[in-house]
Amino acid sequence: MNFLVASIESLGAKVTGWFTVGYDIFAFLFRSLLLSLDRATWNRATYDVVIKQVYFTAVQILPVFLGYALVISWLIITIILTTARDFGLTAFASEMTIRVLVLELLPFLTALFIALRSGSAINTEVALMKVNNELDALAHCKVPPMQFEFLPRLIGGVISVITLAGLAGLLALLLSYLSIYGLSMAGFDAFTQILAKVFNFKILFGLITKCALFGLAVTLIPITAGLETPKKLFMVPVSVLRGMMRVFFAIVAIEVVSLALKYI
Amino acid sequence: MKTLHFKVGLFAATTLLFGAIFVLYILYARGFFEDTYRLQLAASTADGVAPGVPLVFSGIEIGRVSTLGLNDNGGIVIHAELLARNAKWLKENSTFTLDKPIVGGAKIRIDSPDLKAPALPENSTMLLLTSDVTKEIPILVERVKAILANVEHLTRKDGEVNGTLANLETMTGRMTGEYGMLEGILGSPEKARGVTDSLDKTRALITKLDSLALKMDGMAAKADTWLFAPDGVALQTRDALAQVKLMLADAQSSLKKADALMTNAVAISADVKEGTQDFAALRTEIDDAVRKANALVNEINKKWPFARDPEVKLP
Amino acid sequence: MAAVAALPDDVARVALDLPLRANLTALDNIALIPLYQRHFNAAESTQQAQAMLDQLGHTGIAPLRDPDMTPAQRFVTQLARALILGRSRLVIDRPGAMLYDVPYPDFIRQLAEQTQSTGTWEIYDFSWNQLLYSQAPDQE
Repeated sequence: MNFLVASIESLGAKVTGWFTVGYDIFAFLFRSLLLSLDRATWNRATYDVVIKQVYFTAVQILPVFLGYALVISWLIITIILTTARDFGLTAFASEMTIRVLVLELLPFLTALFIALRSGSAINTEVALMKVNNELDALAHCKVPPMQFEFLPRLIGGVISVITLAGLAGLLALLLSYLSIYGLSMAGFDAFTQILAKVFNFKILFGLITKCALFGLAVTLIPITAGLETPKKLFMVPVSVLRGMMRVFFAIVAIEVVSLALKYI
Repeated sequence: MKTLHFKVGLFAATTLLFGAIFVLYILYARGFFEDTYRLQLAASTADGVAPGVPLVFSGIEIGRVSTLGLNDNGGIVIHAELLARNAKWLKENSTFTLDKPIVGGAKIRIDSPDLKAPALPENSTMLLLTSDVTKEIPILVERVKAILANVEHLTRKDGEVNGTLANLETMTGRMTGEYGMLEGILGSPEKARGVTDSLDKTRALITKLDSLALKMDGMAAKADTWLFAPDGVALQTRDALAQVKLMLADAQSSLKKADALMTNAVAISADVKEGTQDFAALRTEIDDAVRKANALVNEINKKWPFARDPEVKLP
Repeated sequence: MAAVAALPDDVARVALDLPLRANLTALDNIALIPLYQRHFNAAESTQQAQAMLDQLGHTGIAPLRDPDMTPAQRFVTQLARALILGRSRLVIDRPGAMLYDVPYPDFIRQLAEQTQSTGTWEIYDFSWNQLLYSQAPDQE
């Protein structure tokens, strides 16, 4: 009997914990949105920090990222084309590559890339700030860290995921055109037709929204995970671990919901 | 800090530029800068047609079905939309066929046999033909079976084919070329149907020629009497010849009708993927036969008044 | 010591548990306050921060980050950050913990003389260190 009570209790504690985490994340998001609507936020200094964040999250990794996107796209396109040829379904190959790569795989991989590179860094940094009392020091100075530490990271994450996924998608489109039609304009009309079919404005809007949500998830969740770190140095790795787990779940959840909305 | 700003600026500008170009391109692709060309298709049933079903010309999608509904008389009206740049492929003699392949979604196939024909005006209503392969197959199989039975019946020893071919041979030496061809056709059962068709036609031709020859004989007899008749011969003969010409023209037009029937038959059966090639080949062969028969009639028409060819006399 | 942490908000504090922002330079750490609290623009905030460092006689430490500073330099930066807050009371909490490489009573006195701050400076320290301040009875 005691065992039963204990397990129900632990379940309850877990559920409450998840609710608290979810609430913290959304409360933080709400606060940052509110702040981003404030005119006073948008001064030269905030812009500078945003630019710095975009530089570190997107520009710095651009060559590596594009190379990686190139290899992945080329592989997937080749696989789809060969399979389609084997089954006599070449007519569907280009649409398939666009749907698989540009709409789903590349945004997802971009989000993972940024989560692993910048998300983990943000999580660690925020956790260290918290453990080292830097946040308390800022609070003592009445300087809200949101404006120059967190909000620019959120904005930088959103901008980075959208732009990197967009660039990778364009690269994949170019590559799939070259793989199917070669270096000629012969297939331009047919390709245009397929693009027009795939990219209606709902899809385009959905793609941008999805990338923006990815960008939010890979920055917002690490920040909140870092903020809830207890003031003990050995808790920093635990905090990063938890944060990255949540980021992964969030990315998968966003992808699943977007797929469900698109195809169900 | 300056180079950092420069890099981020360059990155942002490039991405924005690419994004803008892509959006413009999508707008162009979706025909935002163009007029939409509308078209109505009348069909007996909306089965398999839904909004979004593509209109395909030569394997390339040029438009799609926007809506479909009933008109006041309970008929199905399908509204389709095309970009103005694609409307040039639609001609007044274009045919619209609903294709429901075994693999892949339904599509409306547009065939424009003559691209020089006048363009189809906007908002016109065309008939949507159905070629449902899945429905067509059992019927075709039945047909092929019947044809095979027929062929067997025809090609039995001293059967109709042999008799007819003998007839043909005796009718004109020029037909010997076709004799070889027909024999060739008989080699494969798929082509059997075409053979019966062409045989039917040949038979019709023979009957025509037969009756023609009989009449000719009669007329010749008459002409003999006319020759000795007190009235002027020349005028009468000319009249008789005019009659012959009329009859020959008649024979020709009946052949044309047979040809038209043939076209329909081929059009219906042309959608079976496997069979299409064979039927197309068959079609050309039959066309060839009909053309040759036509040429024969023309020749007879040309030569008859001047030289009585004994070969045209039929048994 | 709990008394120090419970001091009201209008007291500027220099303490070990109020570190600098580690990834910002000394100058940026100080400039944060005019920048985000008083909404000066970036150039002006930096200028004010530099002026504060000049006043304390440590112009050279502006580009240094926290890990690159000596304890004295770190203390000066923290002090500059506290001074630029412009609060009337300044409390230095246990300077011995932060200034372990200099004779800190003299060092603080020297800094205090260099600034034209109008507020009061208070130093909280352990009683056994009182002897160190013997030359400066005016400060508690």
